[in-house]
Amino acid sequence: MAAEDAADLYQAFVDQDPAAAIQVVERVRTSGIAQDALFDALYAPAMGLLGGAWAAGGIDEITFTQAAVVAEQVASFVMPAVARRDTGVTVVVGTMHRDRHSIARTVIAATLKEAGYRVNDLGVDVRPADFLERVEETGARIVIVFAEIMQTARAAARVREMLATNGRDDVVMLVSGGPFAADPALAREVGANGVVPGAESALKLIARVARDRAAKAEADV
Amino acid sequence: MAGRSTALLTAEELARQGAVSAAVEACYEALALGDREPRIHGLLAHLMLEGDFYDQAISEATKAIEIDPDFSAAYLALGLAYDRRGGMWDQSVLVWHELSEVAPDLVTAHVQLGEAYAAATFEDEAVESWKRALELDPKEARATYNLAIASLKREGMALALPLFRQAGELDPSQDELFFSLLGVGAVPDHPIDPAKVKPTRTARLGAAGLALKADDLFAAADLVRMVLDEDPDDPEALALSAYAYLKQEAANESMACAMRSLSLDPELATALYCLGVVYARRTGLNRHAARVFIALAKRAGTQALVHVLLAESLLGLQRFEAASKAYRLGVRLDPACVRARFGLAASHLTEGRHAEAQWEIRRAAYYDTKRQGLFWRLYDEYVGAGDDE
Repeated sequence: MAAEDAADLYQAFVDQDPAAAIQVVERVRTSGIAQDALFDALYAPAMGLLGGAWAAGGIDEITFTQAAVVAEQVASFVMPAVARRDTGVTVVVGTMHRDRHSIARTVIAATLKEAGYRVNDLGVDVRPADFLERVEETGARIVIVFAEIMQTARAAARVREMLATNGRDDVVMLVSGGPFAADPALAREVGANGVVPGAESALKLIARVARDRAAKAEADV
Repeated sequence: MAGRSTALLTAEELARQGAVSAAVEACYEALALGDREPRIHGLLAHLMLEGDFYDQAISEATKAIEIDPDFSAAYLALGLAYDRRGGMWDQSVLVWHELSEVAPDLVTAHVQLGEAYAAATFEDEAVESWKRALELDPKEARATYNLAIASLKREGMALALPLFRQAGELDPSQDELFFSLLGVGAVPDHPIDPAKVKPTRTARLGAAGLALKADDLFAAADLVRMVLDEDPDDPEALALSAYAYLKQEAANESMACAMRSLSLDPELATALYCLGVVYARRTGLNRHAARVFIALAKRAGTQALVHVLLAESLLGLQRFEAASKAYRLGVRLDPACVRARFGLAASHLTEGRHAEAQWEIRRAAYYDTKRQGLFWRLYDEYVGAGDDE
């Protein structure tokens, strides 16, 4: 991409011509610049030119302000994509039966959704059978069971039993909550494949599970 | 009676001077002459609170309220003592509720009531209290930080982060960071007349910085324009313009000036600050904001708020562990930084560490209420009302 493109965009701003500005953006995009790079490659240099012109007195205050309005109209065309791409991976999450703690589940579910996972949030007080039912409905192969009380944490074993009884041993069951953080052996006792201590580790763990699954599926083919 | 009044006045004077031990001694002297004066007990409660002796503060504030149930300063001391001590949320809710009745316009009472409700897991009531605080004062930063935490608990980080940033911009510490980077001193008590400023670049830029600090955007604009008319490639003048536009909510003009400034001096801290703040306001530019704030942290790493701004961008990128580190650094550099404390609380929540999050929120309240110095306002109002009667 040439510096002339930034100069053309700057000129469109100063001419208060949003259509011309969008044309410049489209021209640069079709030349092969990725959406995520448009802001740095095109918009930022054009804004620098605008600031320079105003400082040098090349444009007056009113033109500067009006050019900034056009820049605002064009901004959405050059912004990096906000939403992450759909990963195609479904994750079922829920807090165990007789447990109404929801904060960790909400934070982790929202983080996974933002990262492009298809999250099925069953909420609080979820019976083991409901986890199985949702797994069957959605075809999910990853479940995160949340529990913040020792009694409900132990009861996560019933989710694993339910999955096994119904021939769903292939489902990866992760657990999260204070009792599992305090006693790492507890996760193994309930038949979990791993512990999710927080939102960032959830992202890392789910990405690894999804990657392993994809690799296995490829090998099977 | 006269002797008791003299001892009380002495205690008051010593307490206002911060001579805590001497003031406590004077209070006990006053009490020896008679223990039915609420002001002495209220004063003692405040002094005990200052010294972090919470049980004694609770005891004295309770005595003051028993003697006069309308003594708002004693309710304040009692509520703060409960909150700082911790584990007494039910009592705390009652006290803040009472104070919000005795002094309905006291914003802090509603903020504290909300925090007490939240600690007792009455989330809906907590949110109502913070909203009430914001009705009374839309610029109440701590109420907004608390609403951001509530949003994080209910909806996740993506929706909470804009609230954290909104609260941060209400927080005067963000402007203080800019002026600290700029290196300007105290604002003069008279308006700056650009025509009377020495016609040199240094004098004009210095005066423009002071004018910005005094919110005199017109004088600042005139002075910066004089500098730019002589040298349009002056990066510092452009950075001042970027800040002035930022203050007028003109983000694109600010970005244009900051971009130009950084093309002339890529390490200029004031321009980095403006560009980072503009980027942080735009959804989708968290990566850009983080990049700019990392550069700023290299230039001004001793400023707590720089690390807080970086941390907020990292939260937007879902890099919670890195954000937590940056917040921790911010808290280490400035333990009284309320924004860093709330941010750290948020990052604790993403890691499922609820007790630590609650602790940080309590510390934020501790430093914020210490800074406010509300006790003396309520105390003086009470004394004034007594004199009127």
